[in-house]
Amino acid sequence: MSASQSAVRSRAEAVQVSRTFDWMILFTLFTAVLGGYHIHYMLTGGDWDFWTDWKDRRLWVTVAPIVSITFPAAVQACLWWRYRLPVGATISVVALMIGEWINRYLNFWGWTYFPVNICFPSNLIPGAIVLDVILMLGNSMTLTAVVGGLAYGLLFYPGNWPVIAPLHVPVEYNGMMMTLADLQGYHYVRTGTPEYIRMVEKGTLRTFGKDVAPVSAFFSGFVSIIIYFLWHFFGRWFAKTDFISDDAS
Amino acid sequence: MKIKDRVLKLSFIALLISMTAAMFYAPTASAHGEKSQAAFMRMRTIHWFDLHWSKEEVAVNDTMTLHGKFLVFAGWPETVDKPEVSFLNIGIPGPVFIRAGSWIGGQLVPRSVSLELGETYEFKVLLKARRPGDWHVHSMMNVQGGGPIIGPGKWVTVTGSMADFVNPVTTLTGQTIDLESYALDNVYFWHAVWFAIAFAWLLFWIKRPLFVPRHIAVSTGKANTLISAGDKKVGLAFALGTVVIVAASMGSTNDKYPVTTPLQAGLLRGMKTFQMPEQTVSVKVEDATYRVPGRAMNMTLTITNNGDSAVRLGEFETAGVRFLDPAVHEDDTNYPDDLLAEEGLTVSDNSPLAPGESRTVEVTASDAAWEVYRLADLIYDPDSRFAGLLFFWDAKGTRQMVTVDAPLIPTFI
Ligand SMILES: [Cu+2]
Repeated sequence: MSASQSAVRSRAEAVQVSRTFDWMILFTLFTAVLGGYHIHYMLTGGDWDFWTDWKDRRLWVTVAPIVSITFPAAVQACLWWRYRLPVGATISVVALMIGEWINRYLNFWGWTYFPVNICFPSNLIPGAIVLDVILMLGNSMTLTAVVGGLAYGLLFYPGNWPVIAPLHVPVEYNGMMMTLADLQGYHYVRTGTPEYIRMVEKGTLRTFGKDVAPVSAFFSGFVSIIIYFLWHFFGRWFAKTDFISDDAS
Repeated sequence: MKIKDRVLKLSFIALLISMTAAMFYAPTASAHGEKSQAAFMRMRTIHWFDLHWSKEEVAVNDTMTLHGKFLVFAGWPETVDKPEVSFLNIGIPGPVFIRAGSWIGGQLVPRSVSLELGETYEFKVLLKARRPGDWHVHSMMNVQGGGPIIGPGKWVTVTGSMADFVNPVTTLTGQTIDLESYALDNVYFWHAVWFAIAFAWLLFWIKRPLFVPRHIAVSTGKANTLISAGDKKVGLAFALGTVVIVAASMGSTNDKYPVTTPLQAGLLRGMKTFQMPEQTVSVKVEDATYRVPGRAMNMTLTITNNGDSAVRLGEFETAGVRFLDPAVHEDDTNYPDDLLAEEGLTVSDNSPLAPGESRTVEVTASDAAWEVYRLADLIYDPDSRFAGLLFFWDAKGTRQMVTVDAPLIPTFI
């Protein structure tokens, strides 16, 4: 059979095939992003995302947006410039968070019995939606990187605060003051995560006194801008069709 | 076409591998590597002794303790970082118990501590049973740059049902909560809200024909027709809505939890040491050999008694394995069987050594534990030295401890 022969015979059939194609691509994109992004985020954000007693005002706020703006930027580059679909960031973050929830629920809770209230994932959705909308309205990579990247960094902490605030209520425990999150980390024994590897509340932004979270968020936003550019280019390069020879189409 | 197929196939495999790898990640749950840890690590870093597990069977919600002492060995190996930042852990398979408390020298140690070489410390770990099963409970010290140092373990049975486990805690704001499930509804609620918003945004786009027609439109220069004014309005609404919800939920959270504090961290220094009875016996290791076929270590020791009462050698301890001379000392602490050689220590002349006297004796420590606990692997270590604790008793039952640290030569016949 010749490859050039059309596989469809009517417009209705073509629409149907095109739609089937949509779902196939969406499914593949979703799972591929889920896998790649999940691994990437685990290796770079790791413990900061796993445990409530790592979710501090300095390093978590700084690290999580910087390492998580990567795939959203790349997937946006592909979906926007080729298809004008402003969902790249949201689809990435939803895929990541679904993967994380499966992992936390089945393994952290189901297999090793850490209560879910110590190992739930961070919320990345607010920043992702804003990132997608800015790209759609502005149709500009630079604008999305600068305004979107900054917004992505800034929205992270307030977007998570309603979830973690109850765990930052202080408690007096055997003569020491700590937060409930600290106490969770102490109670629920992690043999592989000794206390000293916990990187929290460390940094050089001390001069800002109490308002460290906003300062960290701004810093994170600025770095996110750079990372956005970088990964947006990766995404564009990756979405090229030059690799596939013409006889394939 | 062939290359494309292969690329597709390989990407698919890579995808499956990465997905599985990420999804199946679970935090380290087992501390059961005691036997695989290099023998010199176990012999020359932290010496755990006087260990006591308060119970062998404990019901869910009941507590038990593991307490005892540890000596931070003065001859700490060069290859391992000094215990300047250490954390008193507990070697159990994940949170089968919760650590309700842990103390070094009476000081609560939820944080990392700085330990001094050559010092002895008293420690206690209070455990509250959470999950039924038979669990090996080890003492454990994590040392930054040195890894986990696992001490002796004993089997403890937890009975009952995990569903009954509660973890009540009273906060400084006066509420009593169950930390086992506290704030969980709140976590699920906010994640559900944001997932719903995200899905609404995705659905708004993916309900229309996607890749083929949109790609055709973009490549024929009609990209601008793909985003309508209505789409832009909806987008704007989503973005503004997101910002408004974030701001409003942050505000309401601050009203609901007016008192919050940052996470607490920091190193604890100046831990109280434990003063062992004054050492009046001195020991010189003349030579030491390990006989591979006999699973025994022979030491030639010159013991000098500078005290004022006669003493006898009753115990040799290394890496948690205790070799006793039953004529001098018997264990009454219910120490784990596999780590206790009740008659494992023989001394060529173990008659009381009078004050001022000096004597050279042959000491043999033999037990299957050398093999079972892979201590004999020491002879293959880069620095083939052994180390341990010798315990002497006088007639009144006063005990003193002497450390030994010397090269070890294996014999294979
Ligand atoms: Cu064990």
